[in-house]
Amino acid sequence: MSVKPTLLAISSPGGHWIQLNRLSVGLEERYRVVYAMPAGLFTSTSLGEREPTRKVYSVVDVSADDKWRLIPCALQVLYILLKERPKAILSTGAAPGAVAIWLGSFLGIRTIWVDSIANVKQISRAGKLAQKRADVFLTQWEQLSDGQAIQYKGAVL
Amino acid sequence: MIFVAVGTQFPFDRLIRAVDEWAAQHALTGMAQIASGEYLPQTLQWERFMTTAVFNQHVQNADLIISHAGMGNIITALEHRKPIIVMNRQHALGEHRNDHQLDGLAWMGQLPGVYTATTQDELYALLARQHTLQAAPLDNDSRRQTLVDFIDQAIRA
Repeated sequence: MSVKPTLLAISSPGGHWIQLNRLSVGLEERYRVVYAMPAGLFTSTSLGEREPTRKVYSVVDVSADDKWRLIPCALQVLYILLKERPKAILSTGAAPGAVAIWLGSFLGIRTIWVDSIANVKQISRAGKLAQKRADVFLTQWEQLSDGQAIQYKGAVL
Repeated sequence: MIFVAVGTQFPFDRLIRAVDEWAAQHALTGMAQIASGEYLPQTLQWERFMTTAVFNQHVQNADLIISHAGMGNIITALEHRKPIIVMNRQHALGEHRNDHQLDGLAWMGQLPGVYTATTQDELYALLARQHTLQAAPLDNDSRRQTLVDFIDQAIRA
């Protein structure tokens, strides 16, 4: 029996997480999917109850506006990457996903960013950061694709 | 039969009242999920919260879904192939912490089967032509499958 390669799926809670799951569910047959998410007050308990079989790491939430949390967030993501040794990282945003894309790219891990479907007029701020390092950068809106650096290959909805 | 649902986080009395009054004027039946709202529907049946199974049953029974601008309800409506009207909560009216639901309408309105209203007038205009509102086409989920398959290939590349 061949061992499934590991995929780290990381996003912020809420809409980003819903989108991430609509992708990862389709990948769980082919990969061992490990999850990471900033688990706040509203999410930490419900996650454990609803998804007891999943491996979900909790990380410190961070936004582009508060750089100080970047350090603990980055350290946690680094720990996860070194422990799990994923073949690839998939993120739908926001900032914690961009952190993972950056760290992953330096460690030689394949990195894939799917910009949130909420970004219909322009790529998100976190997405622009991730774009500098991501191997594959996808938008969910055809009009935002340039066919090369930013590709459209479908949408979660 | 209509089903109006406002999510679990906040009340949205303005939407519930508007739909309830419209139902009264047009002799419509329906169900309302009102969270912690103060307004109690007079014409529609109502529940504050429901389990996912009960919620899905109401979606299944309805011809039309009316909702706050939340991604969860949109996904549920699309999956059940029901047309959905979404109206945004307004920060100025104390209905949410910010106005991101208004931003949400910009992309939600571009999805097949999703109709948007920012005011009661716009909502009533949509309700007046409710029998012309179309559900998303059956093959809409192929957008997601295409995206998942592309990501799978991108990981292996």
